[in-house]
Amino acid sequence: MNGFSRLLAVLLLTLAAGHPAWSADAANGKRVYLADGCFACHGRAGQGGAMNYPAPPLAQTKLPLAVFRIILRTGPKDMPAYAENVLPDQDVADIHAFLLSLPGRRPTQDMPLLNQ
Amino acid sequence: MSSKPDDLAGAGRRNFLKGVTATGAAALTPVLVAQAQTPQTAPAARTVALPNTAVETLPPPAEPVNQTSSGGDFMVDVLKTLDIDYLAMNCASSFRGLHEAVVNYAMNVKPEILTCPHEEIAVSMAQGYAKIEGKPMAVICHGTVGLQHASMGLYNAWCDRVPIYMMIGNIIEADKRGTAPEWAHSAIDPGGMVRDFVKWDDQPASLQHFAESAVRAYKVAMTAPMGPVLLSLDAELQENPISDRDHLRIPKYAPVVPPVGDSGAIAELAKLLVTAQNPVLICDRMARSASGMARLVELAEALQCAVVDLGGRMNFPSRHPLNQTFRRPAVVAQADVILAIEVNDLWGSINSFNDRIVRVNRPLYKPGTKIITLGSRDLYIKSNTQDFQRFNEVDLAIAGDGEGSLPALTEQVRRLLSAERKAALDARGRKLGEAHLALRESAKSDATIGWDASPISTARMCAELYAQIKDEDWSLVGTGININWPRRLWKMDQPHHWNGGSGGFGQGYNAPAAAGAALANKRHGRISVTIQSDGDLMYVPGTLWTAAHHRIPILYVMLNNRAYHQEYMYLQAMAARHGRGIANAHVGTTLTNPNIDFATVARGFGVYAEGPITDPKDLAVALKRAVAVVKRGEPALVDVVTDPR
Repeated sequence: MNGFSRLLAVLLLTLAAGHPAWSADAANGKRVYLADGCFACHGRAGQGGAMNYPAPPLAQTKLPLAVFRIILRTGPKDMPAYAENVLPDQDVADIHAFLLSLPGRRPTQDMPLLNQ
Repeated sequence: MSSKPDDLAGAGRRNFLKGVTATGAAALTPVLVAQAQTPQTAPAARTVALPNTAVETLPPPAEPVNQTSSGGDFMVDVLKTLDIDYLAMNCASSFRGLHEAVVNYAMNVKPEILTCPHEEIAVSMAQGYAKIEGKPMAVICHGTVGLQHASMGLYNAWCDRVPIYMMIGNIIEADKRGTAPEWAHSAIDPGGMVRDFVKWDDQPASLQHFAESAVRAYKVAMTAPMGPVLLSLDAELQENPISDRDHLRIPKYAPVVPPVGDSGAIAELAKLLVTAQNPVLICDRMARSASGMARLVELAEALQCAVVDLGGRMNFPSRHPLNQTFRRPAVVAQADVILAIEVNDLWGSINSFNDRIVRVNRPLYKPGTKIITLGSRDLYIKSNTQDFQRFNEVDLAIAGDGEGSLPALTEQVRRLLSAERKAALDARGRKLGEAHLALRESAKSDATIGWDASPISTARMCAELYAQIKDEDWSLVGTGININWPRRLWKMDQPHHWNGGSGGFGQGYNAPAAAGAALANKRHGRISVTIQSDGDLMYVPGTLWTAAHHRIPILYVMLNNRAYHQEYMYLQAMAARHGRGIANAHVGTTLTNPNIDFATVARGFGVYAEGPITDPKDLAVALKRAVAVVKRGEPALVDVVTDPR
């Protein structure tokens, strides 16, 4: 079983087991997102970026919180893996809420600068 | 740089051999004697200093003090035969002989001197220039202190396979060296300091030796794989008279015709490509002339196959339907034949690698995929620096110049294509075209996120910049952090639309290399722009003065993320791995407190500047004004405070 398969198995097990409901604070999520350096690879607006590999956009993330938390704990590719002692579950939930609060994508057809 | 103590020991170090005129000494002698013999009269005023009788009673010099020819003049004659337009330098006494010959004998034409406040600036300017102009710029500096400053630039050029015509001054004979600086500036083997990353070097012992080595050096530098060369010029050789100019001969330079891959191997490769289901062309430093991109387009269109442009040069149009650069992992995974043309890091292009506690890698390609290399990289390699990258096994390695070999390969491919096969390839091409369009739409959609944010997103900044230059004959001559928005959003389809990166990933390249490239573009009337990272400019801010002094038309658009951001991310990764202090990644990695006001810095160097700009709505007008300055023939800088990437 390779790394991706292992991650997938953990994700499925976690989803099957369900997860606790979190009362999330997007304002605190923004604070942590900036203070703990998530913005460094993924951008302050969640627009994505790059380290050794492209870092995906996170604004309006489609990832459920449970999956989001597992990705943070395991770190795909070169993404750092953040343990509970440095990034508590509550902060993870708050970051997730912050990302959902960001404006995200816009339609491109009415943006002349992107249709040059 | 060096200062020469104004003492008699220093002044007397030169031996004048032949060809001197003694008239200067003769004419001077009676004056000195007369001065020494004239009784001193009362001073006209109390402020007049008392005579220095110790000096004034010295006997006249026995040696000649003037000359009518110099070795430096001959060196200029040699350089002129090589059609070298510029000599970038930071002035230094160990090459004062050649310096003066360029100024007064050549009248500062071919080569014209470029005044650079740091040797790394001079070399990096030459690197950027060569990638646009297709020929080397000459650079000269001190043999020890100057060459050490220059060494980082030489290393970048070496990794980037760019010809640099590097010269240094040296005082070879110990008994000809004067005071302390001349000893500190001399070495028995100065080339040894950089020999690991220059192709060839020499220290000529005579002017005839210089002529032959100068032409040889040019030839070596311009032969694929290209690279920097070094000539160490003895100060005596530069400064002293020429004994017999008529006996000196300048050899004729004949360029080496780039080698074309073996015809049998090219035929075998063509067969593999034509019969493959999903061939992929990967290229990096392939296009070495204006013809390179067109040749690759011809091959790709004949095959209707995927092209991945790693960006070392302007290899393939960004909006060509077959351009699959930003689908590299996907197309490599589907490939049954991969042709890598002038690719230095083949392993890194077709394998994945994770920077974890246990570093894991795996091939992106499926078992059985045929891997072929075509290029000059296998023809020359050195040991110490490891820029040759990890060894990747291949099925066929064809030695030959990539660009030079493409016409023969394309001809073979066309010869093998039946009408039926061509129809199948066209269908493949259409699918790739659809994937390319989807990629472009994805890029545009990605760019909208954070569109109005402050600090300004790099996507917005690049889109705003393109709007100001797209109707001009423009040239993007640098992106300090390899930011890929231009290649994702802009229509890049001319050979001068891009000229690659540093090669060695050494900071301090982008600002001067962009200036050098812009100098080359100036002759063609192009607008040069560069996306300039703050960290890079902090290494070589004096570049801005050189750009202003020589009226180099270039627009610096600062990507001012106020950090050495790659290192910020690495430090955070380390902290997360060690489970502590992930909020401290800014320590030692950021350029804040105080924030750097690059517009003020630029103005101080005589460069038109605007900023810092933090609101994206202010970008368009600022860039428009700056482009107008550049179109007038001058440099400009717009400081944009941006998000990290």
